[in-house]
Amino acid sequence: MNEQTSPASKEPSENVVRDWSLRLLQRVCPSWLYEEIEGDLIQRYKRDALRSGEPAARRRLRWNAIRFLRPGILMRNQLRFNVTPTHMIRNYFTIALRIMGRNKGYTGINVLGLAMGMTGALLLGLWVVTEFSYDQFHQDSERLSIVWNREKQQGGDVMCWSATPRVLASALNADFSSIESTASFADYNETYLFTAGDRKVIKNQANFVDPSFLTMLSFPMIRGDVKTALNDPNSIVLTEKFAKQLFGDQEALGSALTVAQGEYKIPFTVKGILKDLPSNTDFHFDYLLPFSFIETNFGKEENWGNNSVVTLVKIKPGAAMEDVSKQIRDLKKKNIQGEQTELFLYPLERGHLYSGFENGVPSGGRIKIIRMIALLAVILVLIACINFINLSTARASRRTKEIAIRKVTGAVRSALVLQFLCESVLVALFAAVISIAAAYLLLPAFNALIGLSLSMNLKTMAFWLPIGTAVFTVGLLAGGYPSLYLSALSPLSIFRGGWLELGKSRVRSLLVVMQFGFALTLIVSTVVVYKQTRFLQERSIGYNRNNLIYQYVTGNLLKDFVNYREALLSSGYVSSVTRTSSPVTQRLSNTGGMSWNGKDPSDNSIIERFSIDQHLSTTMGVEIVQGRDLDLMKYPSDSTGALINEAAAQLMKFDNPIGELIRDSGREWHVVGVVKDFVFTSPYRRVEPIVMQGAKLGEHMEGVVHIRLNDERPVSEAIGAIGKVANRLNPDYPFEYQFVDQEYARKFANEETTLAITSIFSGLAIFIGCLGLLGLSTYYIEARIKEIGIRKVLGGSIASIIGLLARSSLRPILWAILLFSPGSWWAMHWWLQTYEYRTGISWWIIPVASMTLLAMAMATIIFQIYRAAKISPTTTLKAE
Amino acid sequence: MTREFLGEFEELVLTMVAALREDAYGAAIADEIQSRLNREVNLSAVHVTLYRLEDKGYVKSSLGGATQERGGRRKRIFTVTSAGMATLKAMRAARVDLWNLVPQLKLIVG
Repeated sequence: MNEQTSPASKEPSENVVRDWSLRLLQRVCPSWLYEEIEGDLIQRYKRDALRSGEPAARRRLRWNAIRFLRPGILMRNQLRFNVTPTHMIRNYFTIALRIMGRNKGYTGINVLGLAMGMTGALLLGLWVVTEFSYDQFHQDSERLSIVWNREKQQGGDVMCWSATPRVLASALNADFSSIESTASFADYNETYLFTAGDRKVIKNQANFVDPSFLTMLSFPMIRGDVKTALNDPNSIVLTEKFAKQLFGDQEALGSALTVAQGEYKIPFTVKGILKDLPSNTDFHFDYLLPFSFIETNFGKEENWGNNSVVTLVKIKPGAAMEDVSKQIRDLKKKNIQGEQTELFLYPLERGHLYSGFENGVPSGGRIKIIRMIALLAVILVLIACINFINLSTARASRRTKEIAIRKVTGAVRSALVLQFLCESVLVALFAAVISIAAAYLLLPAFNALIGLSLSMNLKTMAFWLPIGTAVFTVGLLAGGYPSLYLSALSPLSIFRGGWLELGKSRVRSLLVVMQFGFALTLIVSTVVVYKQTRFLQERSIGYNRNNLIYQYVTGNLLKDFVNYREALLSSGYVSSVTRTSSPVTQRLSNTGGMSWNGKDPSDNSIIERFSIDQHLSTTMGVEIVQGRDLDLMKYPSDSTGALINEAAAQLMKFDNPIGELIRDSGREWHVVGVVKDFVFTSPYRRVEPIVMQGAKLGEHMEGVVHIRLNDERPVSEAIGAIGKVANRLNPDYPFEYQFVDQEYARKFANEETTLAITSIFSGLAIFIGCLGLLGLSTYYIEARIKEIGIRKVLGGSIASIIGLLARSSLRPILWAILLFSPGSWWAMHWWLQTYEYRTGISWWIIPVASMTLLAMAMATIIFQIYRAAKISPTTTLKAE
Repeated sequence: MTREFLGEFEELVLTMVAALREDAYGAAIADEIQSRLNREVNLSAVHVTLYRLEDKGYVKSSLGGATQERGGRRKRIFTVTSAGMATLKAMRAARVDLWNLVPQLKLIVG
């Protein structure tokens, strides 16, 4: 615009020009408008000065000048560009649609690539959002917290855990003024039989709470009153689903049911029905019983040393959680002599994602995985955006004339930029529509894969707002560089003719390098995750988990177990039976308090407890390396005998473990045998020391029976036979059992999920990358078609031309391999560190991943290259 | 394309631009409206309206000569584009049409 400086003036009006009002106006007014405005103001001033004198004229000048400080003038500085082309936007969209329609292949690649990337990102995004919503829905959730323990261990490490004694809740409630309410939540591993009319359901999980639990947390109650539902010791609250299971369509509220365990059979009245728990909570239960039931019948537990419940605390409004944490810190120390454990509050809202503690300080937790997933989502969209960028810039050769014509007829650069951005936003919009539909259809499968129940709520702004933002961002991201690049082309060089140097964009090569670098990283992670999962699954676990079942000992079986065992063994379908304290796939309890001869008093290493009666080696197939198995028939004193595993023998430093005494909680056990290490708790970790104590603790300690099926008989027949025996001896309880191998396999659910996610998404990344490569090489070959013709005329062979084209197409991929393999190696090394029992990253993984990537890329472009090399030079060169 | 709507003041300014021809610039238009219609107008309002009309494509502008009375500052001379002229004519025709609908008798009585 015109910005000439005004000609020098020799008039007395110069002092008017220096008036503050004009100087102010000059500063803020758009420069190309200022001259004429100032001229008009001076003209007015002079007229006024003649008519009504200098002072009045000056006053009026100031008033007039100030009135120019209005948006219509001032905003012109910023709005000029934006205001002008808005009426062109519709035209841009029309043009964009026509261009998209004309190049169907290109549009297809662009939209498909973006849509695939966005579908993946959308699903992963839903997952991330759901993870962040865990337990955020409770009323006043910012005032809710869980009590944690912090204890300094031998050797200086600090350990944190969240199990607390039952008495804590009432103590906190009574003694601390800034605490509004507290509740205990217990999740016991007990087997209860629920009977309502003729329906029977067994539950292996028992949940007891204080009545305040229902008012502190916001699980909506559809029938009954949250304030009073659990006040009566014999009341029970059910979830909707469990109520339906027990009562069908009958009214459950107010109905009676009995809960049986062992010889107890206790009537309860349903006082409340909760809506089924949402999936985004870490509280899991089917029913709630009041603690007052246990406490009126069996007395209140006052032991500060028994960490058996989760303690929920709601602080008063205005109280700071850190302050309350400080107040309660030494409560445990005060109540137990010699106790070192400190207490602190940890916000419930952070419980799901941030409950990892390392050496006493929060160190993340699940959030680490969630961050990786979010990163994966971003990378997917990025890869798809790169496709768009590359294709649009490469395709510029097709559109140079259009750009030149637009420029020659007066399009300013900003208008061209806007036009290209409109095109990319339109593509992103198409892709988004497809991806929303695809994600909607894929959601059930995705849920099954990750074992969660995510949902897409299409009716809320909370869904559409981020989607809209994402479409816009992707549009800008993908269209930004092409629009700047294309709009910068000079019409002169375009009309002068010839191909532009479009085939050699450094930025584009860099983007391809990034794309394939990400793909490589994903392939490497897939291979490593696969290798680690297999490694874990194929770990020799030390016992034979096939043809082994377990069931909970219930009802009559508790009273007359010997009869049951004999009946099983004599049926011919069962070869060995062992009672234990817990399934062999689950830990029961552990302790640092065992002692033995020669124990270093400062050593409080954790040892796992496992109770068995006898015949461990025949039932589980555990190998006895020293001594013998427990056998109560032959050696009645074996009820105080014990087996230890090799890890325990090593820890206890026995020269000859047989006959040594181990003391635990005031009882003595004599070691009769050492078994080979077997995986008891986690297949990811080293085998822990285990002491397998004999039957002396009493039958109530041994609530599980493991049954080894006779290998010679079909499994289904064996199960049928066992079921018949169980139903005959124990008619009150339904026959339920688990296969140990299936239970064991469940331990790998996380790895299976990780494996599925990485393999699916690396497949997706490779596919999108190859899609881009296909599009890119099409334009690239097109740009060199004459060169190929000339080479052929000069005697170049088809093979040499294929080699030439392939080399230049694959070069960025080689760079990607070179640049990204160290990073991917390091990332997987880091991931493997989270496992104690882990495989290594073999040397062949990166070469194999690289070859896979190259092979895929080659397969994508080879056909096009071959076609280009085959084409006769006469057809390509004659057009000139 | 839908026809741009002109406000009353915009129409007035546009008409003035057409009437003043080579002498159509901010201050002159303001003065002319003031003297002919006896209507107090604000100088900045005239300017803003002129720029808006330019955005809409009804007038175009160029910098004219500098005169002594303006302290050597140049004027921005506005001229009506053919689109502007067409709109003016269309509005006038529409108004005449509407006037024809008003019963003449009432006009005399009033």
